Amino acid sequence: MQTDLIERPVVRNDMEAVHRHIIDRRSANRTLPPYRAALTEEIVEILSSFFAKERPGAAVSGVRRVGGGASKEQFFFTLSEGGAEEKFLLRMDPRSAITETDREREFVLIGAMRGRVPVPEPVWIDNDAKHFPQSAAILRVVSGVTKPSDAGVKVSGLGTWLGPDLREKIKDQFLDHLVEIHRYDYRANPLPGFEIPEADAKQAARWAYNYWRELWEVDEGEPRPIMSLATQWLADNMPDTAELVMLHGDYRTGNYLFDEASGEITALLDWELARIGDYHEDLGWVLMEIFGSFDGEGVFRASDLFEREEFITEYERRSGRTVNRETLHYYDVMSSWKCNVIVAANGLAAARSQHNHQDVLLTFLGAAAPMFANDLVRLLSKGAGE
Amino acid sequence: MTPTTDERLASVIRSLTEVVLPHLPADASLAQEQVQLAIGHLQILRLQFDSVLGFEAEELADTEALASELAAAIDGGRDTSAAVAALKAAIGAVNADVRGSLTGLNRAIERVVQAVSADGAEGAKARLSEIILRREGNRVEKDRRWFLPYGFDTMDAAA
Repeated sequence: MQTDLIERPVVRNDMEAVHRHIIDRRSANRTLPPYRAALTEEIVEILSSFFAKERPGAAVSGVRRVGGGASKEQFFFTLSEGGAEEKFLLRMDPRSAITETDREREFVLIGAMRGRVPVPEPVWIDNDAKHFPQSAAILRVVSGVTKPSDAGVKVSGLGTWLGPDLREKIKDQFLDHLVEIHRYDYRANPLPGFEIPEADAKQAARWAYNYWRELWEVDEGEPRPIMSLATQWLADNMPDTAELVMLHGDYRTGNYLFDEASGEITALLDWELARIGDYHEDLGWVLMEIFGSFDGEGVFRASDLFEREEFITEYERRSGRTVNRETLHYYDVMSSWKCNVIVAANGLAAARSQHNHQDVLLTFLGAAAPMFANDLVRLLSKGAGE
Repeated sequence: MTPTTDERLASVIRSLTEVVLPHLPADASLAQEQVQLAIGHLQILRLQFDSVLGFEAEELADTEALASELAAAIDGGRDTSAAVAALKAAIGAVNADVRGSLTGLNRAIERVVQAVSADGAEGAKARLSEIILRREGNRVEKDRRWFLPYGFDTMDAAA
């Protein structure tokens, strides 16, 4: 049976330069040979030679792989010098991942956020893989956990249950930190590599749409009628931007560390999807069902912290912004659509090409695609006001 | 007498669970995670193995029904007419290659969705949305049930 009934045109759409670079790199890498997970002894050798130049006299020890996560190779290690010990995290890209991003962009933003919200200190960067085999960054280790120790084995943030005690301790911090991120003055303090989508009122939505749409094409996402409908709906209904803010891009339980006893958030993590865009984009992401929980009465809480209306009204009260329900609806749809691109195209393409160290996890995560398809059916059926 | 697929999968699961996993070093976190995921995958495959062909055949039948309803209900200008004609051709080309046929139908449906947005007749966009949302609502329900063993889905909690 002929399966190429239509030729998908290669179009170079309007998007941030860094995203164009990522897509071009991903396309170019498709023919590269398989990637193998780094061995601990290899990382010891690479770190030792790196610090022989960066900090002569310091010794690397205690290298161990970090569990969890679905995109980066991560290793804890200790650097000893003059009787003092410092603990660091090496964060290194595989050849291809479920979310392919730019280490330097993340590194720069985390540095800018220091003193505003809790973040790990970014210390070294090798974005062009001049020393490390792949693009890499090194951050200072922050103590804390991403989920309660009794939460069981789950991908962090997917259906994590914090429970009433931790919920009450964490929820105000969670929202206040988001408001603070959105308050970042990117005009007074511009960040290299971060462009402002202000050519017209729809550019913020268009940049997001174009980037993820092209990722879907590059990774040969299998078209499903509901994805085709959602893709066209997003193209036809782009909202005017309410206000451009610095977005985190992946703000949810699972992407912050907290102290289990006090509930204090000690670090906000995973800034790789950050960009300047419409604040509704972050709100739609936070409110996704897959990142939340349902209690025994069927009550949904985003990130197991806020009921939907509570989150919206509290965000409005603390930020001084108004949440436009139609714009939020657009970004609700876009969030589920993006997640579908991530699990059903990006993750599976990385696994198919054997360019990742966790192929078995990526195909496992692909099983979440029907949830996002269901979100799209539900959201596109009910409209913004319901 | 030859071993059944179920017996072969069961023996691999047992080997990974009782021999390989307990002998991995305590600090081999990636290896431990990957073995646990591999076991989980295999357990689900074992559970679903006898139903895979039926599941995929039903998916194709559902998509073909959706495509046929669209082909009968959608009209419009040059782009839409060409896309509907291509959809009818894809329906006619459905054959024993289930996955190939499914891909052909889905791509043809994608083209109709795009074309209707450009030059669909009055009411075509609403009809197209209604058909896809109604039929995909039913289809997605089956997909979610199928992948429920993976543990991501909140459908029971939400219900």
